[in-house]
Amino acid sequence: MFAKYRQAFLVGLQGNLVYRWNFAVRGFFSLFHLAVVVILWGAASEGRTELGGFSLNQTITYFITLLVLQFFISAFNEDYQISEEIRNGLINQFLLKPINYFAYRLSIFVAARLVSGLLVFLPLLIALPFLRQYLAFPAHAAPYAFGVPAMIMSAMIQFSIAYCFGMLTFWFLEIQGFVILSMAFETVLGGQMFPLDLLPKWAYDVAQWLPFYYQMYFPAAIFTGRITETSAILQGYAIQAAWVILLLLVNHALWTRGLRRHTAVGG
Amino acid sequence: MLHYARIWLASARYSITRTLMFRGDFFVWALVELFWMTVNLLTIAVIYEHTESIAGWRKYEMILLVGTSLLIQRFLMGFFWSSIFEMGRNIRSGSFDFFLAQPGNVMFMATTRKLDPDSLVNSLIAAAVVVYAVRQLGLEPGAAQIALYCLMVACGVIIHYSILVLSISIAFWLTSAQGIEGTYFTLTEFSRLPRDAFKGLVTRWLFVYALPVVVVSNTPAKTLISGFDWRLGLWLAAAAAGWFGLAVFVFNRGLRRYASASS
Repeated sequence: MFAKYRQAFLVGLQGNLVYRWNFAVRGFFSLFHLAVVVILWGAASEGRTELGGFSLNQTITYFITLLVLQFFISAFNEDYQISEEIRNGLINQFLLKPINYFAYRLSIFVAARLVSGLLVFLPLLIALPFLRQYLAFPAHAAPYAFGVPAMIMSAMIQFSIAYCFGMLTFWFLEIQGFVILSMAFETVLGGQMFPLDLLPKWAYDVAQWLPFYYQMYFPAAIFTGRITETSAILQGYAIQAAWVILLLLVNHALWTRGLRRHTAVGG
Repeated sequence: MLHYARIWLASARYSITRTLMFRGDFFVWALVELFWMTVNLLTIAVIYEHTESIAGWRKYEMILLVGTSLLIQRFLMGFFWSSIFEMGRNIRSGSFDFFLAQPGNVMFMATTRKLDPDSLVNSLIAAAVVVYAVRQLGLEPGAAQIALYCLMVACGVIIHYSILVLSISIAFWLTSAQGIEGTYFTLTEFSRLPRDAFKGLVTRWLFVYALPVVVVSNTPAKTLISGFDWRLGLWLAAAAAGWFGLAVFVFNRGLRRYASASS
């Protein structure tokens, strides 16, 4: 049963290793982004000991964690790949074989993120002498233990959203506009521009109910000690799990409905 | 000159007709850009909820800076981006032949062919952000100051244009310039930072002078806030001329290597 997806995973691993330089270069460019973060937030907290209750080092550690998470759990171009496969008719072969397209794609996603996630440590290691002075990770084990399940569910949310956008190809010829529009939301509400706890309280409360919060911010905030209360973490898990289930249902619905519109031509 | 103006007008007319054909696309993309501009302004607003100054810049001064940086970027996107972006692909596929056969300078023909009306619409919004910040700061710039501001923005657009042409020209040597446009976006992130935030000697030298992305937005913004700084202004104008010259040189060098492609 799982053997075929293991094969897909291995193929994905090989396929992504081909692009190892591409990922490494992207990683190196993220260092420029990190430089912007250090300069901007450093200048903002000049003459102050804290910003929204956290020290400058904690804030920068948050952005470094975000960077690592991005390469480990974000969907990069899965939406476009799925879109291409639908447009080119490559999905036709999955309709004839006993293989689940979602599971197949997920296996490749896991392989791809394993490769890019490990590769991002390369530029980070090189920048370590410079970054070391800013690192302020929690000293005890609990945040890491709590963070891992959140991270796995975040990866599921990331992938499911990308899959949904890919499925839209059944209805629209071009999905790029939707993807970039949603990226703007993800960037802000996922906490990539600033840690969400800096938002006014009402906005933060609203953000907590949206899926974007659980795409990136939630695990990053646990890992870096910005969310510490067990009750808050458990509540977060519950909302996150609800979003995972909801998105999986939407994925399934889009797939079955999309297929009804799909016409396979040629052989 | 008139000849080129006529060619440009013909391309502009073609681009606008095309946009009218794909109205839905126009709205989606205009919205996308609007959202991204909001993302940048929102970040500034949130940071200033927790601090009074970033490297000595107050909130509306910072909004003026970000607005200026967005304005320059919108102009670049509106007038040149699509053409330059496609240039990279055309060099790879060999479709670049098309531009060699056209009645005019190849660099001009290849980089001004398509306008993006959605970016141009958003440049109005970026300009409105600048005006709003100027009002909030209680500034009353004179006609000369506004003229200098516009001139500095124009220099900024020339510098961005040249850097973009330079990076895509790599395709002449490497064939594939895919992903290189990403570098450009990384660099523009720096243009939203105040010059005074660059403390270290290396970062200051690298981003303020060697790659003039920071001066590009800071000089016009400072012109409105505290008057025109001749030294910076001249530096920016010289940088614009220098980078443009370099872009023309590299582009023409690359053109000599261009060997088309067979299908």
